[in-house]
Amino acid sequence: MKQNNSRLQAVRDAVNRVDLNSFRFWLQLAAFALFVYGGYFAIDLGSRLPLFSCAYNDEGRAAICYLLPLQHQLSQPWPRLFSIASITVITGFLTFVLWFIFLNKGWCGYVCPLGTIQDWITALRRRLGIRYSRYSQSQFAQLTRVKYLLLALMILIPLGIGGGFFSHDMSPPFCLICPARMVLPMFTGDVSQFTIDFSSKTAMIMTAVGISITGLFLVGAFVKKRFFCFFCPMSALHYLISKPALLKLKKDGNKCTRCGDCYRVCDMEIKEIADDVKTVNIMADDCIMCLKCVASCPEEGALKATFAGIPILESTEAGFIKRINKGCSDGK
Amino acid sequence: MLATLSMNGYCQYSPAPGKQLELGGRPGAAMDRAAASGAPAGGGRPEAGNHRSNARSDGMGMHSGGAIWLSDAPPMRGGGSRSGNARGGGMGGMNMGGGYGGRAMKRLWPRAGNDPQKSSFAREDAQASTEILLVTPSSTPEGEPLPAPAESHTGIAFEVPAQGYYRVYLTTRKLQGKILNVCVAKAEVANFGHGGDEEEQARGMQAPRILESAPIEIVRERQPNEKMFFQLKSGDEQPFVILQKGLPLPSARVRFVSHQGWSREAVSDEQGRVSFQVIRDYFPPWGEFQKRFKATYLVIAEANAAESGNYQGQPYTSVRYQATLSGSYQPSPSDYMSYAWGLGIGLLIFLFSGVAVYLYRRRRVKPFVEVRFDEAK
Amino acid sequence: MENESPKIIPIQPAPYSRSRQAGESQNVLDHIVDDFQDNPASMQYFYDLFRRVYCHGDALQHEGMLVGTTCIQAPEELIYAFGATPMRLCNGSYHYDQRGADFMPAKSCSLVKATLGMLSSETVIPKIGKPDLIVNPTTCDQKKKASAMIEGMGYSVYDLEVPSVKESEASRVYWQRSVRQLAGRLQELTGRKLTRKSLKQAMSKTTRAQAAFRALHNFRRQSPSLILGKDAFLVTNAYFFDDIGRWTTAVEKLNEELAQRAKAGFKAVQSKAPRVLFTGSPPIFPNLKLPLLIEESGGVVVTDETCSSNRMLYDMTAVDEWRVNDMVDSLADKYLKPCTCPIFTRNDDRKRRLLDLVSDFNVDGVVYQAFAGCQVYEMEYRSVAEEFNRAGIPLLYVETDYSTDDKGQLSTRIEAFLESMKNRKKQRA
Repeated sequence: MKQNNSRLQAVRDAVNRVDLNSFRFWLQLAAFALFVYGGYFAIDLGSRLPLFSCAYNDEGRAAICYLLPLQHQLSQPWPRLFSIASITVITGFLTFVLWFIFLNKGWCGYVCPLGTIQDWITALRRRLGIRYSRYSQSQFAQLTRVKYLLLALMILIPLGIGGGFFSHDMSPPFCLICPARMVLPMFTGDVSQFTIDFSSKTAMIMTAVGISITGLFLVGAFVKKRFFCFFCPMSALHYLISKPALLKLKKDGNKCTRCGDCYRVCDMEIKEIADDVKTVNIMADDCIMCLKCVASCPEEGALKATFAGIPILESTEAGFIKRINKGCSDGK
Repeated sequence: MLATLSMNGYCQYSPAPGKQLELGGRPGAAMDRAAASGAPAGGGRPEAGNHRSNARSDGMGMHSGGAIWLSDAPPMRGGGSRSGNARGGGMGGMNMGGGYGGRAMKRLWPRAGNDPQKSSFAREDAQASTEILLVTPSSTPEGEPLPAPAESHTGIAFEVPAQGYYRVYLTTRKLQGKILNVCVAKAEVANFGHGGDEEEQARGMQAPRILESAPIEIVRERQPNEKMFFQLKSGDEQPFVILQKGLPLPSARVRFVSHQGWSREAVSDEQGRVSFQVIRDYFPPWGEFQKRFKATYLVIAEANAAESGNYQGQPYTSVRYQATLSGSYQPSPSDYMSYAWGLGIGLLIFLFSGVAVYLYRRRRVKPFVEVRFDEAK
Repeated sequence: MENESPKIIPIQPAPYSRSRQAGESQNVLDHIVDDFQDNPASMQYFYDLFRRVYCHGDALQHEGMLVGTTCIQAPEELIYAFGATPMRLCNGSYHYDQRGADFMPAKSCSLVKATLGMLSSETVIPKIGKPDLIVNPTTCDQKKKASAMIEGMGYSVYDLEVPSVKESEASRVYWQRSVRQLAGRLQELTGRKLTRKSLKQAMSKTTRAQAAFRALHNFRRQSPSLILGKDAFLVTNAYFFDDIGRWTTAVEKLNEELAQRAKAGFKAVQSKAPRVLFTGSPPIFPNLKLPLLIEESGGVVVTDETCSSNRMLYDMTAVDEWRVNDMVDSLADKYLKPCTCPIFTRNDDRKRRLLDLVSDFNVDGVVYQAFAGCQVYEMEYRSVAEEFNRAGIPLLYVETDYSTDDKGQLSTRIEAFLESMKNRKKQRA
């Protein structure tokens, strides 16, 4: 028993000393390959995935982002939506929730292809030696609401379409303005989304807005880490259902010195991660669960990621020192 | 179960049928496939009038009454219906219609005519015998008989509980003198839904699409990599195969009629294959343009055979086969999608925001600027 | 007296080793070394170091330019990155305290007075030579006002602007800017450019030192203690002026010895010895009066929350992008955010840090030192006392200065305090 415990402790110590950044890079790369090219290998994980595995990447995708079927379902004519179709909406949502609670927002930080692309753009900027931008706190406070607004619109507009208030050319409204629609199919050589649809005024406006947002996305992601995630309605939806999730980010406020190291490395500029010493479940609505904060925390056990209550990555002094030494010698 | 349905104008031929029956006897009638495929697609506006007159003059054995075909819209609905629901997309054929709520039903109307827009309801013909077969994803490949509609405008209704392809064969036999007219109007309905049972969908996609008992049948060949929600677009090349009892029928005269009545004829090759390019014939003002405008095409295949036998006690010396198949096509995205504008706007925003960020950052590294107030009124 | 009158009598001054100041250091060091048993063998390095520097007045060598700092708030990594050597000027000598009294009102902080006294003296001890620049962070009022006085003594001084609030965004941005400006000043001074490589090298030096400190810090959790607090204070005091590489190696050696001690079940004190957390105004050699009194009386200082030790070396810097811009900002954050200095408006972090140390180090009681005149610590006492009251942890507040006059009185108070803790322990057991 004791030997088992010490062996478990040895494994834990090894995990806690992991070079999280490179582990994450390879995992993200694998997930990207799976979700962007998996379709070529007949992988199909369904259409209820809590990440941007864009359906417009028709050939390569291994799954479909839940937002597309959700908007489709909600844009059905009301008599149908509020009768038999409501069952499919509910079962669809439940499937989505099941996928989600497995990884919580870890889907964003480790799996989402659009998130990975943003990290690659960030890496490119870093290599070019251009510094990144940050929001001021007042900007942050305002902008952090945008994703909820987008989520509300993403539900209300399809309902309006189903009710006959809006044109079908607006469907699916979020997908039309989502940069993933243009960026992800590009990776399988499909550039057909880079077009303006002149078939109607609505379609023209929507596609023009979409392509403008893609232009902004490329610039934004270049100067700002995880630029789009800040506005992502999927992220908002995640947060609303994150309570039963298995993967959790926990903080022991008593051990925190508020040194701000976690805040320093946070791609999403979440200040609470450093300053909030009362909340145990510290995952904020903007969090992408990249767990960089855990890796950059020098306080033993102050931050940890748990899966179903079992700690899987914990902040340790030894891990911190190992990572910082690596950074000092060959950090990028 | 056999149902008899007589229709006005059904398999009525011009007074000189013999002439029409000469297969390939007329120069120009035996257009080869390549020529047929060379039809203008999006290249220019076809002169609808010309083509329509062509359609009449080249007379492929049909005349005023025209062929019987199955449509998923009654005549009065006019041209081009929009698929308003998310389940849209027929398999180059027809998609799900019907009311919401209750069991999913599909309704088809037998229509008579050679022009998809102008065909009226097929009316009853007391002399003809009609038989309707329905092949569903869950039925045997031989299909199940369906009762005939009480009245022609109520259409043929059937339930579509499973996902997959539903095929309806309306076979009419009628003796005219010594000639037996056998007419098979076929409809293929795709019934797929997003997020349905995926195994069921896969089975539906792989199910056979041929009725071996059909005296004549047109099968729309699938496009390479065709998926569940396939929609034919104008400009696409669409091959068809003409089959008789499941075997390829060469030298059948095949006519493709577009939504506006433009038509093109070709003769099936040794594999029974014939191919047409779907033309662009939808030119509304910009404000009225609908990218999901569902235009209907109609394919009519005919062949004669010197078979003799008895039909309902009456002898015949030759048989005239006719098969019809209709489907839908939509405007090609290249008609209304613009890469130039898309890339232009994208690039403009990209450059604009890039320069804006750069200038903002440059401004921020300049020395501090004192705040001063404007004293002017 | 010899040292105070060289201007009047134009003869060769007596050697430093015979000065009153050297005597003061000698006394304290002898006390540290000789009056306690079982000093760790690897402490010899530090004993020798202090003896050489403080008692013999040996000159210290340094690389590049010399940049004096008057507070832990001055980012030493930046100074190293410019090829210069930082030197903490905060002084603990009573002799200099008295000298500095000329510059400041009588009731001012001994530390600031001693620093001023040292800088105004002809023979600066530790003998570092004249700093090329003194970085004076604008922390407490006394240090702020010291700036102009130091300048008046002929030094070039750079005021590193520190905000009074650390929670707000404005202060964070302001501080980051301050640090960048310091880098600009250092560039001007050294004529070098701040490069990624040099900053990374500097950070790795500090990281190694901090890692060694943290290891030592962790060994002190052990109960009964493996090492006495007076030795630990000596170690961290040496960081003020010792070569960082040598210092780290010596601490690593000490850690190895402590590891062996832990394995051997060694006890530096009795099992019942009350474990004391030391906080407040920083003990700086030779003013180790209070920690020594505690340990003479049978207690043991197991950890501290002072800027001469824990606060100086504990918090480490995390960097996301190893680029100059991000590294400098990260350093700025590290010097501001975790700082528990009482000059900031709020002291929640300090209270939380103290409570965390109490529970982590199995502390029986807290000794709170406030230098007479160190207003910020004096003012913060009330809120800290309330916090400890609530947590049921005994706290002894000692207001003192660098003089040894109150030693007897303090000894009595400390003995009584330790006795009450022992009783509490007994009652609990």
